[in-house]
Amino acid sequence: MAEAVTEEISREAIIRAEQRRRRLLFTVTGLLVFALLVWWILGKMSLKSFWLQALNGLSFGAVLFFLASGFTLIFGLMRITNLAHGGFYLVGGYMGFSVMSWTGNFALALFAAALGITVVGLFTERVLLRPIRGLEKPEVLLTIGLTFVLGDLSLAVWGGDPTPVPVPGFLQGPLRIGDFVYPRYRLFVLACAVVVAVVLFYIERRTRLGAIVRAGVDDRETVAALGINIKAVFTGVFMFGAFLAGFAGVIGGGFLTLLPGQDFEILLFGLVVVILGGLGSLPGAVLGAVLVGLIDSFAKALVPELSFFTLFAPMALILVLRPQGLLGKEE
Amino acid sequence: MRRLSLTGRVKLGLLVAAIGFGVAAPYIFSSFIVGLLSLALIAGLFAMSIDLLAGYAGLVTLGQAGISAVASYGVGYMANKVGAGVPAQILVAITAGLVASAVFAAMAMRTDGVYFIMITLAQGMIVWGLSIRLYQITGAENGLTGIERPSFISEYWQYYYFVMAVVLICSFLLFIAVRSPFGASTKGIRESESRMRMLGYNPALQKFYVFMISGFFASIAGILFVYLNEFISPSAAYISASAIGVLEAILGGIGTLIGPMIGAFIIVYIQNIVSTNLERWPTLMGLIFIVVVLFARKGIVGAISAGWQRWLDSRESRSGGPVEDLDDLPDDLAFESSEPR
Repeated sequence: MAEAVTEEISREAIIRAEQRRRRLLFTVTGLLVFALLVWWILGKMSLKSFWLQALNGLSFGAVLFFLASGFTLIFGLMRITNLAHGGFYLVGGYMGFSVMSWTGNFALALFAAALGITVVGLFTERVLLRPIRGLEKPEVLLTIGLTFVLGDLSLAVWGGDPTPVPVPGFLQGPLRIGDFVYPRYRLFVLACAVVVAVVLFYIERRTRLGAIVRAGVDDRETVAALGINIKAVFTGVFMFGAFLAGFAGVIGGGFLTLLPGQDFEILLFGLVVVILGGLGSLPGAVLGAVLVGLIDSFAKALVPELSFFTLFAPMALILVLRPQGLLGKEE
Repeated sequence: MRRLSLTGRVKLGLLVAAIGFGVAAPYIFSSFIVGLLSLALIAGLFAMSIDLLAGYAGLVTLGQAGISAVASYGVGYMANKVGAGVPAQILVAITAGLVASAVFAAMAMRTDGVYFIMITLAQGMIVWGLSIRLYQITGAENGLTGIERPSFISEYWQYYYFVMAVVLICSFLLFIAVRSPFGASTKGIRESESRMRMLGYNPALQKFYVFMISGFFASIAGILFVYLNEFISPSAAYISASAIGVLEAILGGIGTLIGPMIGAFIIVYIQNIVSTNLERWPTLMGLIFIVVVLFARKGIVGAISAGWQRWLDSRESRSGGPVEDLDDLPDDLAFESSEPR
């Protein structure tokens, strides 16, 4: 009996060691590929334009992070794949545009739009998704239908012309520090992303709310049995994810401009981020957003006609080598 | 030969009536309506190819339009840029469609459920993105023109009969496929992957094969589509095209072959006749999507089968004879694998 237990333990240890070894190998290979890519890119462009492209990629990645973190949070806790996230982004951006046009107050526009989308999220979760809770595929398809409605209605309200969200004066124009020149607004977006990421990590790792959410990800039934109103937590998390998507729409609308059809385009980028990073993982969303942002930016500069394929290739590679994503948990 | 059951006789009668109607249609309707019937038949074949994955293998795809668009572009490229003849156009189109299917299948075959949906969605959108950017091959937003049908089917009614024949043959092949042992093991993947693995099947490989078969029929639909319009542009690969196919399959009845065809006829009717005066077609489509997913996941065939079964039951209980059971009821989209996650 004892022998069997010991054997079981040693087998588990072997499996764990094997997993560690594989993870190490994977990380080392990944870093090597990354270094090779940087070396190759530096051979193609000057150091200055390298930094310029890197910052462009990171600021785009910042917007993707706002989007993907909400998406991944909702999925991690509720197993709902909210494909309407792209629609939330677009409508949020347009709302921000309207508020900005009326009041000229960027902070107000940002929060009014994000709160507006939060209400849309509340409606989606409570009214549309509640009757089919737990039925994964119908949930996904419903959110796709919702995206068509949102996209078409925003076309009816805001028209089909490319619409940039106006940004306040102190964020316009370039920032010059010595030799370094870069648009202020993109730097502001980057700073926002860092702040939001820190706040999200703090909430998830250090607060009671974060503990409930993390516990809910692992075992919903037990959390509910502990006397926590898991349904309210679900609704709250869904609304928070929607809030982040609306926030992303206004922030992103400031330099990506808003267009009909952008709902699905940004959703595609968001999906690649979570597929690369690992669904349900906040660090995965950060890593995925940085990678996708950088890949997109450098690909546009170096091989413009292939810029979509450069998204596709890493996604295919990850799916074959590590289907759960770079930082995703093994099922 | 085995005597057909009552249900079998009714089905056969309806099929013969539908084919008879189809043959007579060009004598009755205007060229516009016949063109729409061709479109509906092609859409039906496309929806069937989706249903093979969604209904039989339990893998909902939102990227199928990407595959059929690759085939369409194969025809367009050979016609417009190379100037090759029709056989070369079709050969390249089918090859391109199958290569795209193989790559997509290899990426998605180890996943299921929502992962599969997300991956196929991304795949379809990437085809769309590439078709906008690869101007040399696709003509970007302008699309490709100069595609001509071969002379023996150049008239609209000739092409209609041709489409009908191809779609009938494809439906028959699909019918054989889903009734075969292969079809049974495909359903087994949907029911329980782990049990299939225990029985010695390789679920990933099975999914790969189903994906390839589905991709083949999607390619055929793409080829028929491009010759119908004699034009192809990036919107053919867009997510709306894939999503409409899924909607048609669910609306008609997922897990049956006739369901997607019925769904396709309804959606083509609504899109081209009901909503011609309505500017907001995407909104209407989105609302239909939401309503169907919320309230009618078994689709039209599901509703009809349930009613028919009730009628059979009451008839049998009156006569006291043996109870006849329907064998191929449509599946609920809500069906979830019984495996613990």
